[in-house]
Amino acid sequence: MKAKLLKTAPLVCTVFCVLTLSGCKKTAVVVNPDAAFGAYDTEPDWNDSSKLVKLGYQESQGKRVFYQYCVWCHADATPAGPSNRSNVTPMPPLLNDGEKLNGESDQYLQNIITLGGSALGRSAMMPPYGKTLSPDEIEAVIAFTRVIAQPAYQKPGRPSSQYTTKE
Amino acid sequence: MPAEDMGKLSERLRLTFALSTVACVLVLAISPVKDFRAEWKHYKRSFVKFAQGRPDTKKLLADYSLSIDQVWLPGMNVTDRCTTCHQGITQPSLADVSVPQPFRAHPPIPHNVRDWGCTVCHRGQGPATEVAEAHETTLAWEQPILPAHFLQASCGSCHQADLTETPQLTRGRELLTRLNCQGCHKLNNLDRPMLGPDLSSVGNKVTREWIYKWLKDPRTELDKDGNVSVNGYESGDESRMPKFRLKDEEIRAISAFLSVQKAKPIETYKINPAVVAAWSKKPDLISDGEVRFRQMMCTTCHPLAVTRAGETKLIGGNIGPELTKVGSKVSEEWLVAWLRNPQAYLPHANMPRYGWSDEDLYKVSQYVMDKLTDSDLLANLPQLGAATNEEVKTGSRLFTEKGCASCHAVNGEGRQKDFGPDLTALGAKNASELEFSKAKIDHNLVSYIQAKLQDPVAVNPAARMPQYIWSQPDLEAVTTALLSQTGPPSTSALQHLVVPKKDVSFQVVGAFAQIYERYKCYACHRFNGYGGTLAPDLSYEGSRAQKKWVADFLKNPQTIRPTLTLRMPQFNMPDKDAAIAAEYLSMAVQKPDIDPESVDAHQFTPAMASMGKQLYEVKYQCQSCHTIGATGGYVGPSLNNAGNWLTPAWIEAWLRNPQALQPDTIEPRRNFTEEEIKALTAYLMTLHVGIKPETSKSAASTLAVAQGVSR
Repeated sequence: MKAKLLKTAPLVCTVFCVLTLSGCKKTAVVVNPDAAFGAYDTEPDWNDSSKLVKLGYQESQGKRVFYQYCVWCHADATPAGPSNRSNVTPMPPLLNDGEKLNGESDQYLQNIITLGGSALGRSAMMPPYGKTLSPDEIEAVIAFTRVIAQPAYQKPGRPSSQYTTKE
Repeated sequence: MPAEDMGKLSERLRLTFALSTVACVLVLAISPVKDFRAEWKHYKRSFVKFAQGRPDTKKLLADYSLSIDQVWLPGMNVTDRCTTCHQGITQPSLADVSVPQPFRAHPPIPHNVRDWGCTVCHRGQGPATEVAEAHETTLAWEQPILPAHFLQASCGSCHQADLTETPQLTRGRELLTRLNCQGCHKLNNLDRPMLGPDLSSVGNKVTREWIYKWLKDPRTELDKDGNVSVNGYESGDESRMPKFRLKDEEIRAISAFLSVQKAKPIETYKINPAVVAAWSKKPDLISDGEVRFRQMMCTTCHPLAVTRAGETKLIGGNIGPELTKVGSKVSEEWLVAWLRNPQAYLPHANMPRYGWSDEDLYKVSQYVMDKLTDSDLLANLPQLGAATNEEVKTGSRLFTEKGCASCHAVNGEGRQKDFGPDLTALGAKNASELEFSKAKIDHNLVSYIQAKLQDPVAVNPAARMPQYIWSQPDLEAVTTALLSQTGPPSTSALQHLVVPKKDVSFQVVGAFAQIYERYKCYACHRFNGYGGTLAPDLSYEGSRAQKKWVADFLKNPQTIRPTLTLRMPQFNMPDKDAAIAAEYLSMAVQKPDIDPESVDAHQFTPAMASMGKQLYEVKYQCQSCHTIGATGGYVGPSLNNAGNWLTPAWIEAWLRNPQALQPDTIEPRRNFTEEEIKALTAYLMTLHVGIKPETSKSAASTLAVAQGVSR
């Protein structure tokens, strides 16, 4: 009887171990999502339409506001055809003009959109949008400007954290 | 058994027990070790390290504890532990893209994570504590994270009305409606379906050969570069009639069946022989016809291929069918009858009933039959001959079997209901419920929908669904709209979250009702949320425009917006109709809180007007967007004729708050003082141009930029 126990004990132990360890097996089926699906929205690069700029939620809201309100004077092509840009003196900057806009702070852009050009001593042809657009919408347009800027926009201030996590 | 043997045995037994004990302890230790090394704890600790490298460490770690965080909303069936790893989700200082995931802040959206949780929008497995289980399909959970690109589908699950923030979803719903997907499939909260033409009398309109050609070789083609072309011309627009996979004998049978459909005879109209005699020999008959065709703005609704600088392109609207080769399609007799009264042939046609003189009718129909043709269209077709009884019988059966009857009625027989599968809960389906057949695609819902849309037989060889042609953005938009069809909410709490669509209708009464129906105002204009979006919203037209101006405009539409192509047709409206329409609009189509009598234009003095001019030109520089005289911008309407066009009460209300009158207008609301508003109104009321400019002066413009295009 004891000999029987002696023989079965290791077997029972092994079975127990195997059963316990089997619970550790991962059951998830990993599906690789298409890389393009990762972006909430995209905008063709203004200088090279074959390239797509990925937009996050905020930037895509900025894109929407831009194409409704700003495109008429701050782009050379509009959804309705010709642009009003050449009718306005001084000529407004294109929204992706990094050389002109990268130097301006977010706060300055927020002010000029909210209060209009004349309030900041610039052209009165830029009307104030503070009572038409919400501060969030204005911030979103600025975020959109930054992401399509050519040359690319560099955020001022401390360099980003070196820390990276496991993806 | 001898004692020493017993001793040996007990020793071995002890050893075995010792080893077993160690093994048992080890096995039992697995659990705490596993717990200690749990994936979520790794992220928890990583966040501490990460936060210590940030300037606002204290704030970032204010709520920190080494335990599972969860958002528990029992009413909404939400238990989301996502914030266990996504710890920076509500920290504005972590919004920048340089912040590594999973610590980045959520972009600011109208819904707060504490009140809504995460999975309501993103899907995935809320209670999971491992990365793969939370995000991917597992054996126990088949609702993986929705790819960010299709996230707007989640907005659509509750918001049945269109939102400005979700253009992709809105476009997708528009396509589902336009392509009449509801002909075969059941779908939720879409606009009323737009049906294909009633074919009860199609045999009077086209020949059997044309039908054969149409079914054999549909107009829309996709070349190898993915460009969509209609009749060989490139087009950005989708075609409504898709390609059915039909065999030659099936096409023969259906064309036979349709060619004998002659329920209503053509209402033949005989053009005055004197007119025909006078014009038929003139060399400029066709070119004059073309001029009238253009003046009547047929291309506002119908696309047409034109060649400019060696490049052939489709121009024109997409409300009606493309007309490039219509002269090879219909008979002259049918065309004349149709132009005079489209609703006689097709009661639900959206084509307005123009006022025709015999001269115009002759010139335009001759132009269409002469120039809008293609002699090769029906060349190289097999001999079809007259339809035999057998072919007609087979065709009649196929017409139902192939799904034609889902969009097209014949002889008053209603369309088939539910020919295709019910799609009202497609967006909530598990991958295991879908038939992938042998398609080499990822086994998930998004890939399935896209594969099915692009090539229905790829995922189901027996599919009856026809072949549509999609541009990439349209494919994604339709996928988004289909993913938003998640069926009825699973709990009653979720039922309360549904934001239903407002029912819109616009009832007109009296004499105007006939005019409204005859000229199909609603095909392009919107009234109180009902109608098309091509042209300006007229809900408040009676408050905005002066009655006399409206009557003149209807008689002779002119561009108001300088850069846009004029689209308002010249209906040849009789004076009486124009007067009735102007009267009705000014009496009944108003913004209730604008009293047209509240501002008396006589109170304006020249001093006020000159102050207004100063404000317009110098202080506010309105000329950046508006044109007066020959100078100014293209964005807003031209104000040249503002004094004849707009009512002073409207101008004042508009200057106070444009968005209150037209929510999506791009004119910004400004800080005018009351005095400035009076002065600007006084100035605008002094602007007049001749009331009756010549008819064909320019083929330029009227379309609401703000609404038609930017949507």
